[in-house]
Amino acid sequence: MNIEDRVINSVKGVLDKRPEVTLDSRLLEDLLVDSLDKLMILSAIEDEFGLEIEEEFADVHTVKDIVVKLKARGF
Amino acid sequence: MDRKEFYKRLWVDESLAEVTGYNPYYLSVNSGLNERLLVNGCKMIDLASNNYLGLATDSRVKQAAIEAVQKYGVSLCGTPIATGYIDLFQRLEEELASFVGLERTVILPSCYQANNGLFSCLAGSEDLIVVDRLVHSSLIQGIKAAGCKIRPFLHNNLNHLEGILQRSSSYRQVFVVTESVFSTEGSVAPFKKIVELCEKYGAMPIIDDSHGIGVLGKSGRGILEEQKIEGYKGIYTASLGKALANSGGMISGEKRVIDYLKYYCSHLVYSTALSPAVLAGISAVLDIIRVEFTGIKHKLISYQRQIHKALIEGGFEVVAGEAPINSVQTASKEVTFSLGQRLYAKGILSTPFIEPSVPLNQGRVRLIAGAGLSPGTVDEAAGIIKRLGAS
Repeated sequence: MNIEDRVINSVKGVLDKRPEVTLDSRLLEDLLVDSLDKLMILSAIEDEFGLEIEEEFADVHTVKDIVVKLKARGF
Repeated sequence: MDRKEFYKRLWVDESLAEVTGYNPYYLSVNSGLNERLLVNGCKMIDLASNNYLGLATDSRVKQAAIEAVQKYGVSLCGTPIATGYIDLFQRLEEELASFVGLERTVILPSCYQANNGLFSCLAGSEDLIVVDRLVHSSLIQGIKAAGCKIRPFLHNNLNHLEGILQRSSSYRQVFVVTESVFSTEGSVAPFKKIVELCEKYGAMPIIDDSHGIGVLGKSGRGILEEQKIEGYKGIYTASLGKALANSGGMISGEKRVIDYLKYYCSHLVYSTALSPAVLAGISAVLDIIRVEFTGIKHKLISYQRQIHKALIEGGFEVVAGEAPINSVQTASKEVTFSLGQRLYAKGILSTPFIEPSVPLNQGRVRLIAGAGLSPGTVDEAAGIIKRLGAS
């Protein structure tokens, strides 16, 4: 599975009752993600990719932003 | 630096109240929680307060508070660690510990303070707190203050929780935090199973039983009794201002934990102790619960079912809960306020919840028909709700 699909699946796994998740989905506006949802998403990403996420993911706005940050970390 | 700019930043967005013509916050209440509540000069049916057992205006509770005032005055003007630890305080700690079946209890000025102060006292940067996605703000704020890693789990989802616990063995201590009754939903945590998972992974369970104490269990002793959890080794917090009809909060658990909190929990150490009237009032409520709980609970459940039936008949979407709470799903904050306003206009006081009290676009209007209401009043409320849904 490519990195994009792994991220989308991780996001879907912790967001119940939400609309479809795509790379272009905006976390706040489209997926209605609040601060706790965001923590859950980042935790799921940590588990999926076996990494420790710190402040560098604080400014992610879309699902694609998470992919970009992961690629910058060498994934 | 400009102080004018500072004041400009302190802006309250009242647009929702303006659009809906209704502001449910800081209503002017001119009576106690009687058969009818006087709000802005109008008589209202109280489906908003957490007076589950209807004991807030019970004559025996009032008398106990009066006698305490006569003996001790209105305040000891000190924190519990100084002059506030009167014999009433100490006896109530013992009573509460025995009531919930735990070794020791400490009493704080509110459960918000209990939940706020607990985590920064017991957890640090080497620890992990795993917390149900829907817990109360007091727990979230308290957890954030601890400065440790936080991982929320999906509401009441044991598989998600266990997955996190499996991957969390590298922390000094893992805490699992949840509530017994989620008050905006009326859902109840599968706490016995959560405790079993904590045992399996060496985690410390922490439960906020604010909407469970005095309500759940065969004799009203809360979630531990309800789910037959024996020999609980975790930490327990609860509000004394809901079913117990007074004010304050409690933390219970093993002696070693409570003794530590008594010296190191700054929310306790630096807060003026609960007043004698309140301490005596809580004790009187516990006495009533011990004798009359079965009858009171029967009324509470019967009222909850009657209001639930009226909501369904009225076409409202009601969250399927197990607690004596009816929670209407309203989605957007505009719809949530609008339903609150329509109920208010017909003489029913409800509690609307919008973000951040609930997740975005998952608004709720909560209705609690306490056992202190008369059957006639509940009939009237049910009729109003049905007609409102039909209109």
